[in-house]
Amino acid sequence: MKFHFKTLTLSGALLLGLATSCQKDFLERTPPSIILDAQLWNDTGLLTGLLANYYDRLPTHTTIYSNWAEYAAYDEAMWSGNGNGPNDRFTYGSGSWGNWDYGLIRDINLALENIDTQSTSLTSAQKDQFKAEFRFLRACMYFELGKRYGGVPLVTTQLIYNFDGNVTPLQVARSKETEVYDFVASELDAIKGTLGNSGSVTRANRYIAMALKCRAMLYAASIAKYNAQSGLNISTTGGEVGIPASLANSYYQKSLDAAKEVLTGPYSLYNGNPSNKGENFYEAITRKNANPEIIWAKDFLTAKDYRHYFAYDNIARGIREDNLGSSALSPILNLVEAYEYLDGTAGTLKTQNAAGTDYIYYDNLNGPFANKDARLYGTVIYPGTTFKGQDVQLQAGVKLWNAASNSYQTIEGGLASVYGGAAFPNGDNKLLTGSSGPQANQPEVSNSGFYLRKFIDSGAGTSSRGIRSDTWWVRFRLAEILLNASEAALELGQTADALTYVNRVRERAGFPANSLTTLNLARLQNERRVELAFEDHRLWDLKRWRIAHQVWNGNSSNPDAVAYVLFPYRVVRPGSAMDGKYVFDKRVSPRYRTPRNFQLFNYYTFIGNDIRNRNPLVVRNPFE
Amino acid sequence: MKQFTITLLAGLGLLAAGCQKDNVTPPNSQLTGRVIFQNEPVGVRGQGNVQLELWERGERFRNKIPVLVAQDGTYSASLFDGDYKLTRLRDNGPWQNNTDSIDVKVRGNTIVDVPVQPYYVVRQTTIAKSGSNVTASGLVSQVSTGRNIEGVTLFLNTTQFVDTNNSLLGQTTLSGSALSNLSQPLNLSVAIPATAKGAVYARIGVRTQGVGELYYSPVQKITL
Repeated sequence: MKFHFKTLTLSGALLLGLATSCQKDFLERTPPSIILDAQLWNDTGLLTGLLANYYDRLPTHTTIYSNWAEYAAYDEAMWSGNGNGPNDRFTYGSGSWGNWDYGLIRDINLALENIDTQSTSLTSAQKDQFKAEFRFLRACMYFELGKRYGGVPLVTTQLIYNFDGNVTPLQVARSKETEVYDFVASELDAIKGTLGNSGSVTRANRYIAMALKCRAMLYAASIAKYNAQSGLNISTTGGEVGIPASLANSYYQKSLDAAKEVLTGPYSLYNGNPSNKGENFYEAITRKNANPEIIWAKDFLTAKDYRHYFAYDNIARGIREDNLGSSALSPILNLVEAYEYLDGTAGTLKTQNAAGTDYIYYDNLNGPFANKDARLYGTVIYPGTTFKGQDVQLQAGVKLWNAASNSYQTIEGGLASVYGGAAFPNGDNKLLTGSSGPQANQPEVSNSGFYLRKFIDSGAGTSSRGIRSDTWWVRFRLAEILLNASEAALELGQTADALTYVNRVRERAGFPANSLTTLNLARLQNERRVELAFEDHRLWDLKRWRIAHQVWNGNSSNPDAVAYVLFPYRVVRPGSAMDGKYVFDKRVSPRYRTPRNFQLFNYYTFIGNDIRNRNPLVVRNPFE
Repeated sequence: MKQFTITLLAGLGLLAAGCQKDNVTPPNSQLTGRVIFQNEPVGVRGQGNVQLELWERGERFRNKIPVLVAQDGTYSASLFDGDYKLTRLRDNGPWQNNTDSIDVKVRGNTIVDVPVQPYYVVRQTTIAKSGSNVTASGLVSQVSTGRNIEGVTLFLNTTQFVDTNNSLLGQTTLSGSALSNLSQPLNLSVAIPATAKGAVYARIGVRTQGVGELYYSPVQKITL
C-alpha cells in the first residue's frame, strides 16, 4: 500500500482520537505543578511547610544568616573585611531598618481565613492550633513593624479590591503606637492556650508567646517612660508615634507578668560546663541539643543543606579552613571593656601604669583579661586564647627598645612573620606578627585585635565554603527574659526582685552569688550589652531607652561613638626584665575614624512617599 | 581650493544657523532674605541641612523648589516673576513647627524675611583667644516653652564652616546642671590644637531636647 499524505493524516487523527477519548474529562485534570486550596488547607504537612515559610520571613535586623555586616555599624564590632562595610557611614539613613512587609501580613490573614473556609478534613483542634500559630506570627510581625515605624495600620483581614474604581475601603490609617503594642499583647494572650508545640524551640508554644510579649511590653514601657524623661517627646498629634508616660507602669507590669510566666516553663540557664565558665557561655548559645536555655531559635542543619556562611566570613584568620574569607567582623575594644572584672570593678583594660608614663608589662598575651567576666571569653576571641583547640595567634608586632631615645620603636610585619632573617638581621628569630594579625588596615584580618567567638561554629570544616555552618540563630533565650524581668521589676520599684533576676544571669557568667547589691538602669544597660552582644538587641535597646542619639552622637571626640582597637606587642629589650613580655596599645581604629551618628529622625524609620502615595491615610513620621 | 573655500563657508554657515540663540530667558529675579527671630538672623547648620520650600500654584508646578538656608541664616533663590508660597519644612530647623505658608510675590529682586520661633537662643556672644584657648561667653535664653535645653557647645574649626557636621578642631559642651541658671552668661573654653595655623573660626550652638538642629551664634574668625 502506498502511503499518501491524506491517509497518513487521517490515520494520525484517528489514533489521536482514540488516545484522547480513553481519558475521561481530560480537560479537568489536577495540575501536577500547582497545589490547590483544597489540598493545602486540608493537609497538615503542607500547612507546616507554609508555616515554615512564614517563620522564615519574619524580619530581623542583624543576624548570622542575613545582614550580619550591620553588626559593624554600631558599637559591638567593626568591619575588617574587603571594602568599607558599614564603617564609612556618615550617618544612619532615614530609611534605615525599614521593613514595610505587608505581604507577610496579607499572607497570614489569607491563611487564617482560608483555614476557616476551606479546611474540611482537619479537626477543629488542629484548625485552632494552626490558627493560633498564624496569629502568633502576625503578632510577631506587628511588633517588628511597631519597633521600626511606631503605630502602623493594623490590618487583620484580607483586603480585597472589588474593581468598582474606589480604593478607599482598602486604605487603612495608622493605629496609635500604643494600639500596636496592645494588639500584640492581646493576641498573644488569646492564643497562648491553643498554641501547642510544647517542647519545641523552633515553633511557637505558650512560652515563646509569653517571651515575645515580655519583650514587646518592655519596649512599649521604656518608650513611654524615656520618650518623656529624655525630653525628646518624639510624637505625632494623632498618637501614631509616642506612648503617654502614664502608661509606662502598666506596660512594665505586663512585661514582668509575662516574664514570670516564662520562668515557670521548663527552662534554666545553661550550665553544662561549669568548670569553664567561658566555654560554658559559648555553649549556652551555640549548643543545639539538650540546651535548656534556648526558648526560640531559627535552626539550620547541614544534613538538610540548610546552612549559612557566617563562620566562613568571620572565623579568625589564622585558623580559617578556606583560602578566602574570614575576619569580616571584628569586635571592638568598646565592647570588650564593657565586660567587668569579676571583682565588680569596671572593665577598662589596664595597659598603662597609674602615672601613664609606661606600659604595664604582662607575662602572657591574655594577661589584661585575667579575671574578666567569663562572657567576654564566650563572645570574643581575645589575645592568648584558643578556638577549636587551635591557638589564635594575635600579636601586632614587637616593641624594640631604643636606649638612645629612651623609647620603644614599633615594628610590624606580615601575617605569621618572624622578627629576624634578612629583613631584621638583628632580630631574635621569634614571632613578629601573629598568623591572625592584627593589622591596622589589611582586609580579611582583624583590624581591632579581636575576633568573634559567639555564633561561630566550632565544628571541623565549618568555615569552608564547601561545608559551611549550621549554628542556629537564637531569637529568645532565658537570660534575656531574666534581664527583661529585672528591668521591669527595677522600674516598678521592686528592686529586691530585680537584683535576684540579674544576679542569676551574672552568677552563670562567673560572678559570685549576689554580686550586685544595688541596681540602676545604667548597670542593667551594660548587663544587656555584654550578655546579649551580637543577638540583635543593642540598636533596639538604645532606641527604646532614647539614649542612642547621645551614645552615638557623631562626635569624633566621644569615645562611645568611635571604634577603639587594642594591639598587643612583644617587647624586645635584651638584658632587661621586660624582655619577652607583652604590652598593649589602645587607640582609635586607624582604618575607620567616622563616628557613629544616630540622629533624632532615626528613632522612627521614615515611611516614605511611595507608601504614602498609595495610602494617603498614612501620616508621616516625625522629622519626615 | 575654491571648492574647499565653498565647503568651508557652507560649513560655517551651517554652524551659524545651528546656533540659535537661547529663546528661554533665565530666571533673573532674586528672592533673598533671612530666617529671623526678633529681627535677628538665626544661625543654622549649613550645607543644605536646613531648608525652606517654595511652591508655585498651577498644574505645571508639581515640585517644590528647595531653598537652602546658609549658615548665617540667609537664603536666596533665582526665580521667575510670580506668586509663590514659602513654607517652613516641618521638624527641620532649630525652631517650632509652623505650617502656615508665607505668600511671596516676586517682581524683580525681592527681599522676604522668614520669621521663626526658636526654643532657645544665644545672644551677646563674645568669642576671643585667650592664651592657648578660645574662650566664649553667651547669654542663652528660653524664648518658647515646651522643651528643655540639652546642651550648649562651643565649636572650633579651621574653616568658616563650623557646626556639628564638620570634623572639628575642638568642641566643648555644657549640659545638665551647668545650665541650671540661664540668667547669667555662660562661659566656655576650648584648647586650640597645635595643628591650627593662621586663624580659627568659632561659634556657639544651643541644642534643645528633641530638636535635631542647633541654634548657632554668628561665626567669628579668630586670628592666632
